[in-house]
Amino acid sequence: MADLSKEQYLALYRQMFEIRRTEEQLAKAHQAGLVHGACHTYVGEEAVATGVCAHLTAKDSVFSTHRGHGHALAKGVPPREVMAELFGRVTGCSRGRGGSMHLFSPEVGMMGTSGIVGPCILQATGAGYSAKLMNTGAVGVAFFGDGASNNGAFHEGLNLATIWDLPVIFVCENNMYATEIAFSYATRNTNMAERARSYGMSAVAVDGNDVLAVYQAADEAVRRARAGNGPTLIEGKTYRTRAHSEGMPSLGTYRTQEELDAWKARDPISTYKAKLLQSGAAAESDFEQIETAVQRLVDESFEFAKNSPYPDPSTVSNHIFSAS
Amino acid sequence: MAVEILMPRLGWTMEEGMLVDWIKHDGDPVQPGDVMFTIESDKALNEVECFETGIFRIPPGSDVRGKMLPVGTLLAYILQPGEAFPGESAAAPVQAAPAPTVSAAPTVAAVPVAASAGHMPTISPRARRVAVELGVDWTALQGSGRTGRIVERDVRAAAAAAPAVQISPVARRAAGELGVDVVALAAQMPGQRITREHVERAAHPAPTPVSAPAAGDTRTPIPRLRQVIAERMAASAHTVAPVTLTTEVDATELVKLRQGLKAVGLKDGRPVPGYNDLLAKLVAEALREHPQLNARFEGDSIVTSAAVHMGFAVDTERGLFVPVVSEVSSKSVRQIAAESAALIEQVRNGTVRPDDLGGGTFTITNLGMYEIDAFTPIIALPQCAILGVGRIVAKQVVVDAEAERVAIRQMMFLSLTFDHRLVDGAPAARFLQRVKQFVEQPYLWLMN
Amino acid sequence: MRELTYTAAAREALAEEMARDPSIFVVGEGIGQRGGNFNTTTGLYDLYGPMRLRDTPIVERGFIGMCTGAAMTGTRPVVDFMFVDFILDGMGELINQVAKIQYMSSGRLKMPMVLRGSIGISGASATHHSGSYYPLFVNIPGFRVVVPSNAYDAKGLLKTALRGDDPVMFLEHKALFNQKASVPEEEYFIPFGKAAIVREGTAATVVALASMIRKVNEAADTLAKEGVNIEIIDPRTVAPLDIETILQSVHKTGRLLIVDENFGPCGIGAEIAAQVTARGFDDLDAPIQRLNGVHTPTPYSPPLEAAVVPNSAQVLQAIRDLLAE
Repeated sequence: MADLSKEQYLALYRQMFEIRRTEEQLAKAHQAGLVHGACHTYVGEEAVATGVCAHLTAKDSVFSTHRGHGHALAKGVPPREVMAELFGRVTGCSRGRGGSMHLFSPEVGMMGTSGIVGPCILQATGAGYSAKLMNTGAVGVAFFGDGASNNGAFHEGLNLATIWDLPVIFVCENNMYATEIAFSYATRNTNMAERARSYGMSAVAVDGNDVLAVYQAADEAVRRARAGNGPTLIEGKTYRTRAHSEGMPSLGTYRTQEELDAWKARDPISTYKAKLLQSGAAAESDFEQIETAVQRLVDESFEFAKNSPYPDPSTVSNHIFSAS
Repeated sequence: MAVEILMPRLGWTMEEGMLVDWIKHDGDPVQPGDVMFTIESDKALNEVECFETGIFRIPPGSDVRGKMLPVGTLLAYILQPGEAFPGESAAAPVQAAPAPTVSAAPTVAAVPVAASAGHMPTISPRARRVAVELGVDWTALQGSGRTGRIVERDVRAAAAAAPAVQISPVARRAAGELGVDVVALAAQMPGQRITREHVERAAHPAPTPVSAPAAGDTRTPIPRLRQVIAERMAASAHTVAPVTLTTEVDATELVKLRQGLKAVGLKDGRPVPGYNDLLAKLVAEALREHPQLNARFEGDSIVTSAAVHMGFAVDTERGLFVPVVSEVSSKSVRQIAAESAALIEQVRNGTVRPDDLGGGTFTITNLGMYEIDAFTPIIALPQCAILGVGRIVAKQVVVDAEAERVAIRQMMFLSLTFDHRLVDGAPAARFLQRVKQFVEQPYLWLMN
Repeated sequence: MRELTYTAAAREALAEEMARDPSIFVVGEGIGQRGGNFNTTTGLYDLYGPMRLRDTPIVERGFIGMCTGAAMTGTRPVVDFMFVDFILDGMGELINQVAKIQYMSSGRLKMPMVLRGSIGISGASATHHSGSYYPLFVNIPGFRVVVPSNAYDAKGLLKTALRGDDPVMFLEHKALFNQKASVPEEEYFIPFGKAAIVREGTAATVVALASMIRKVNEAADTLAKEGVNIEIIDPRTVAPLDIETILQSVHKTGRLLIVDENFGPCGIGAEIAAQVTARGFDDLDAPIQRLNGVHTPTPYSPPLEAAVVPNSAQVLQAIRDLLAE
């Protein structure tokens, strides 16, 4: 186990728990009709965003994909802004212009999730370019799935970041399926780290359900980047335990109940909690305190989002250009 | 799409109305807000505005001016250029456009395609706008556009070909606002540049103070009736070639006749024929002998009316009215007197029927009660002539020059204004002479 | 006043702005030491080095996406794409990301990216090096689209592009690269959305873009000798489009022809015609006409290539036909 303070251990737990409760609240709200469009939850994958973002500050940039609620929350976007955005309210982090797949909060370095798979890899590379050109010490981070790794953006972005030694962390959340297309079907080389190394960059594969393993890999990657030693790819093997999108069947035609049950048994939050209890790093009361506080935060966030106004239709053409 | 223009219902209770006059004429371009015609109903005169853009078309033979018509009666159409009256076939398609060539030879600009009779030619939007600005009736133009379309240059050429109008921009605008026909105005003042003052004077027949009104002066909007009168008077003044003949007649016998009839009338209580009634009868007899004076222009022809429908100019609080007593020749003086008295009463209290205000073939106007002797009345179009009657006044006149005898006689001037386009001076003079004879010897008509 | 070529004037604008703003960097294939295929960056590498004059692999989508992220994080990338045909590989990045980032972030992110390079048919470049495509970008909310027709405009407009916070497609017709114009030494900017009245006249309005301006001018010279004066308008930027200047001109002339080397369907001419019809209908004395390049991929063989592009005789005939309408 990594050598962290109790506060650090519990902060990781708190972050994962906040993502989980927020996602569950969103899933309920989706059923209640409060979420107007798509809703791709991050349930089961919380350890990856949490372990990586624990090393980032607001000046570091995160670029994410369509399953990005967890990344936004881990990067510091308050749950109420995420919920309000999915409810289409003016108080949402994108002021109602984005929804589930377009979460923007540049104030905390959340530079957007995207409905298109792949661009976040290139954009994180660009953030690395800015950091290097302006010598800010910041890093760019891309979160994406296994599905993106067969897209040109993956290969182009990894290559550019490598040849220019850019401070970028590529975080691949390998949940084994690009919606319904199994990764084992989509490539003959399922070794993500090996694919990255073929471009000449550092790469590591970790258990994506083990927040401490992700935390440790990210620690190394961020240090390497800030030191000017180029990019790193981290593959976190993990699993989405809810449906691809709320309202769709959680198994679909491509997953088995056995597989789902096996991954649920390896739930990143409950296993981490058990590990901390077992090692004595934290007590039951610590968790109760956190869980109560998070639940209150999520409840308040839900009320806030639900009661927020919709944007004024007269503003629909604002912000197409910088001066408008 | 033809838009039907119907007799509008202008109030909840209105069931019929009279089309007093067309403001837009057949073929005029119209836009929303333009006044198309005036309607009299419930003793009020109303302007009827247009809601469409297009060409104002009055179906042939349906000029319904002066007739009382039920609400909903079809009065006119708004058609689009090239559109036929409903039920007629549309305009023939214009000649197909020649395929553009890459030859460097300049294209010949004018390929006019004559619009077939009764159909509107096509016109570019700009040309239509300029036509309105310049007051050009484009419906009669031939276009020089590639497909025969009327383009701006055609409209400007037409405007230039019209009598040269020199007009200031301000006056041009004022003319547009006040509805003054600058071409007609220019014709009245050849060689002069039209200024705003001219336009305003033309728009307001009464002299308009050009400086600030003096204390006590008033300025009021022109009542509609005044406008109608003004337009009719102006139309007459602009259209006819008026000549006035004046003669002094000895009305002594007429006065005696009138007094005799008065004595009878006072006994049986029936209306006593006035001088106008007597004159109507006498003039009608003269007209039977001189029918050229009972004629009018109608299209390409001169229509000479067999019957005499006599108009009487009547002054009212609202203004001048001319009620008509029909078939004067076949009526007794007493009947004429009864009818004219009733009409004058109806005119004064506003109950006169529109039918009784039109159709006159000759008019008598009498200013004798105001001590007027002779004057030059204005012909009520489309009539040929009007007889102005002066006061009857006792004068010492020579009754026998050889015997050097004078006598006191009841004398009166008659002023005949006639339209020289319809009748020449000598026949008109003979007619007036005949009237003079009838007035001096009223019993002569019994001979006819 | 000194004369500069179109390329030199644009390069001067880039050099001035790079000297002023250290956050500007250029990416492209061969824009480093080589100085660019069209000499767009000649001499700048020696001044600013590889971080600011960044040679790239042939990876258009990749470097457009990379520059998107850079523009979101405080730098001002210039994508020197050489031929506009090449960035079609990056259309997804351009349309889904570059054009929309400001909007999606409700204006809290800026997108100061200039994409510049050649357009147009010239010199048997064949179909993968002859595109123009600007109507595609005009159709997308979020782009500024600039098509300068001369050296003076190229410099002033590129300066404006490099100072702004919006993504700019700066499209340079390759037939114009060596054409010279007077360019003052003093700094100047030309605002977007302000058309140039290239020539004043009353008989007809001709709107033309880029290399077509010269051909229309030739036709106007011929007509002027016949006493016919044509007004020529160069919108300079097609997004935003200065429709007001065009409307004012049509108000004067009543006739409008749009001459554009690029395709007719859904093109700039179609857009101008629609707007003028809607707002200037009563000023029109003739149908609005367009003269466009032939709607075909660009062929290689010189006689075929020449058949695609409107030539001076066709421009002249199109104006004559318009005047005869």
